[in-house]
Amino acid sequence: MKQAVPTASPRVGRPGIAWAVPGVLFFVLFAVGPMVLVGYLSFTSWDGLGDFPSVSGTGNWERLFEDPTMRQAIWLSVLLTGVSWLIQTPVALLLGVWSAGRQRNRAVLSAIFFLPLLASSVALALLWKSLLDPNFGLIAEIGPWLGIEDGNLLGTGDGAFAAVAFVAAWQFIPFHTLLYQGGARQIPKSFYEAASIDGASTVRQFFSITLPQLRNTIVTSSVLMVVGALTFFDTVLILTEGGPGTDTTIVPYLMYETGFQAYDMGYASAIATTLVIVATAISLLMVRATGFSKMRSTREGM
Amino acid sequence: MRTAVQGSAVRGRKGFGRRHAATLTAAVLAASVLTACGSGGPGEEEAGGTLEVWVYQDASTKVQREAVERFNKTSDVKAKLVEVPGEGYQDKMRSAMGTPNAPDVFFNWGGGSISNFVEKDMLVDLTPEIQKDEKLKDAFLPSILNAGKVNDKIYGVPMRGMQPVVLFYNKDVFEKAGAQPPESWDDLLDLVDTFKKEGVTPFALAGTDAWTELMWVEYLLDRIGGAEVFQRIQDGDSSAWGDPAVLKTAETIRDLVDRGAFGKNYASVNYTADGASTLFAKGKAAMHLMGSWEYSNQQANQKEFAEKGLGWTTFPALPDGEGDPKNVVGNPTNFWSVSSKLKGAEREAALEFVKTAAEDWYAEALVDNGDVPTTSGSEDMLAGHPAPDYALFQYDLVRDAPNFTLSWDQALPAQQASPMLTNIQKLFNKQLSPEEFVDAMKALK
Amino acid sequence: MKTAVRPEHRPSPAAERAGEPQARNDRGLRGRLRRVRKWNIPAGVASVVWLVIVGLPLYVLVLTTLRDRDSYFDEGALSLPGDLTLDNYRTVLESDFLVYLLNTAIVTVATAAIVVVLSVCVGYTVVRTLSRTSQRIFQFFLLGLAIPAQAVIIPIYLLITQLNLYDSLLAIILPTAAFCLPVCVLILAGTMRDIEEEMYESMALEGASQTRVLLQLVVPLSRGGISTVGVYAALQAWNNFLFPLILTQSRESRVLTLGLYDYVGQFRVDIPALLAAVVLSIVPIFVVYLFARRQLINGLMGVGGR
Repeated sequence: MKQAVPTASPRVGRPGIAWAVPGVLFFVLFAVGPMVLVGYLSFTSWDGLGDFPSVSGTGNWERLFEDPTMRQAIWLSVLLTGVSWLIQTPVALLLGVWSAGRQRNRAVLSAIFFLPLLASSVALALLWKSLLDPNFGLIAEIGPWLGIEDGNLLGTGDGAFAAVAFVAAWQFIPFHTLLYQGGARQIPKSFYEAASIDGASTVRQFFSITLPQLRNTIVTSSVLMVVGALTFFDTVLILTEGGPGTDTTIVPYLMYETGFQAYDMGYASAIATTLVIVATAISLLMVRATGFSKMRSTREGM
Repeated sequence: MRTAVQGSAVRGRKGFGRRHAATLTAAVLAASVLTACGSGGPGEEEAGGTLEVWVYQDASTKVQREAVERFNKTSDVKAKLVEVPGEGYQDKMRSAMGTPNAPDVFFNWGGGSISNFVEKDMLVDLTPEIQKDEKLKDAFLPSILNAGKVNDKIYGVPMRGMQPVVLFYNKDVFEKAGAQPPESWDDLLDLVDTFKKEGVTPFALAGTDAWTELMWVEYLLDRIGGAEVFQRIQDGDSSAWGDPAVLKTAETIRDLVDRGAFGKNYASVNYTADGASTLFAKGKAAMHLMGSWEYSNQQANQKEFAEKGLGWTTFPALPDGEGDPKNVVGNPTNFWSVSSKLKGAEREAALEFVKTAAEDWYAEALVDNGDVPTTSGSEDMLAGHPAPDYALFQYDLVRDAPNFTLSWDQALPAQQASPMLTNIQKLFNKQLSPEEFVDAMKALK
Repeated sequence: MKTAVRPEHRPSPAAERAGEPQARNDRGLRGRLRRVRKWNIPAGVASVVWLVIVGLPLYVLVLTTLRDRDSYFDEGALSLPGDLTLDNYRTVLESDFLVYLLNTAIVTVATAAIVVVLSVCVGYTVVRTLSRTSQRIFQFFLLGLAIPAQAVIIPIYLLITQLNLYDSLLAIILPTAAFCLPVCVLILAGTMRDIEEEMYESMALEGASQTRVLLQLVVPLSRGGISTVGVYAALQAWNNFLFPLILTQSRESRVLTLGLYDYVGQFRVDIPALLAAVVLSIVPIFVVYLFARRQLINGLMGVGGR
């Protein structure tokens, strides 16, 4: 089985497609399969019990388009994504650029700032749930200073929504800070030195050098925020259970509640299918915007 | 694509054996990983001879622990108790029931909590078992046994204490305010004002757990329109939500909320982590409408308060209400049900196991634990209860009640119960007006 | 990107690492230059504000775990407790915490192993096989990039039930690993592309089989990417909550995140014990952070580390 040594173009033996087969099969069975299956289930009225469900019509989809709770959930998901972006991007950007400096005080503070990264969403949601207990939590003490009377944050619609957005920000800002820190450290120092000689102020330098240079990082971080916002499920389940009422019922939570509390799995699958479609669209946009898939051909052309 | 075409041409020259080797290697690698972690996972259920018994884990679980121990001493088929932490017992049990790992014997609330299983023929019909055993037939209060029925058949053996919803009050707080427990609805409204002046929340309410709010709705509807209104709903007539009594109930709730009966931050308070109970025990709230388990709960967590400061009374009648003020709502009790997938010796053993709940020692153990058993002859045992007055109060309450309405979230199938709870929470949070509440409920199906 | 000449360094985030020695050399001079510059006061103030936002909850967290229950209910969250106690930690350790930790460790290691093996194979094919199919495969995986595993929990529940895996650790491991693959294939394809053609040629001259090329050339030179992928998958498995919540039940297969959630029902009123469990759940990752900070951070960045 010896490969003849090519003379003109020094090409060497290449692996067969077979190498990818285990990975593809695995991915198909546990990821793609379920994605297809969820579409199928959305046409059933399965209650989670008994045999493999059979098709029962388009009732779930008709219901989906008329369901005010679903409409509210979509709106809340979009709003949560937007609000998260608006809170997290500026804070993470500034913190990242700040912590990119190599002063010792910055290094020490950064180490503290990154601590929330180490905890799981569940751990953090439980921590915040106890901190936001209106009678015995931290909020009972500092709430009045912040204008939250009686510590009643989780009990009001806007308050609970704000709490979810805040906890998500608290949890994910360190991560995005890391991205920006890495990005900022790759900006050549000479840019700043030249600007300093021209007498540009720090603020000016930030807007004319740092921000444009971080363009790619901002795109990456934003994409990750959008994708991440689809998965705030853990926080919502523990912190608010979608309440008060349905005021923090985002789409993934609505899917969970419909599927695993009301056991209306057919309808929950319709909700889930919507999520999968939206997420696939986001993946496509992401691949387009960042050119992930192109990397190979450019390289291979060399 | 040009390079790609070239590439495949190159690949075409490649030997078949090599490709084959690659597949093999990859497959072996993947397989070894899978087996390696496979051994880490817990294996399948041990073959034969074990009954998996699921129970809701709380302060009363120790009685079931003892039952399992005793049972295992004599039985060849061993029972294994799985204690599921309270949070989400029902969801987990329901999820597991759809799988091959479904429990063999499990704790439930009867009614709607098992009706889906009955439809799918997943439970053993216990009616013949109980009919043929005279002793067993007479062991339980008939109203309790009836409450566990689905389609007029018995699927559950009562296995815990009765759990009527009771109006608890904090004696110290009442004494300080010079107040008396309410005997009428007007008394209750007066007390709201009294305690607000004292700076005490009149009623502790755990608004994050909607089922605690449900208790208010259940009692009010019962007192205003009588037990029949909900009976119609339970029987599948969703237009019964349009009964004027439902609207009146919703308006009464709204009135209480507006009066500040539940304080200002009830919507953030929880029950499962004992938020409301602690507020109440610490004297920050004067009264608490809660299931009778609140006593054992307080005893476990605030022993001194449970013994000295905890008072109890019935839910007052409403002016012009049609319901019998002797009616009770709550959970008549909990039940053991047996999975129909059990066969032969295992099924026999499971039946033997659930029957232990009718034995005298079991009732006594419940009494020791602060529960009030649902067995017929247990009145005499109650002298041995840690709080005999409380036990007798409950026992009489339930025995004399013309109607014992099962908690709605247990009586209705899950598909309706879950949105119902959300609507009730919205009513309490003023996100739905009473009229909107009625409309939302009528839409449940 | 000159640093990418050394093939074991991915352009980025490894570029950061590659750039590091230079940066460190520069620091002497540049650092001094910078120190001459005036303090950035607004940034200083803002960083202190952020320190309070991050630090205060963590301070309350740790302090609460050292209180007894009565102190938690009677004194405020911020006050210093009279007696400090470690009983809460004992309570947690006596409540099967170590069982849950072990389960999580098994799930984490197994998931990382599956993901590394499979994504190395797929990545290798995608980079080295010049066929339309391999490109299709790559695009196929990329489509899954943004799809949250949560969205398909219902069919996975059905699938796992049908495969008879409900309530086993495999129920968590298999789907979690599958959903890690897109990101990991992407990362590894990126890393492997930087291996120079000459390297393959010299292997070919020695007559090495594809397996040997993979194990002796590709894997060693992709170490950076492989560790990123391993850590990424491990973190996904470690933090997973919905899969264990739906797909497992018994104590024997309960992982840490689900254990924490169940402690709410179990400890109920005992908030200090619950928070002690929260602290204990952070400790293992904290230890990893101390010893393998860079790999952990690269893993966290996942896609972002591109």
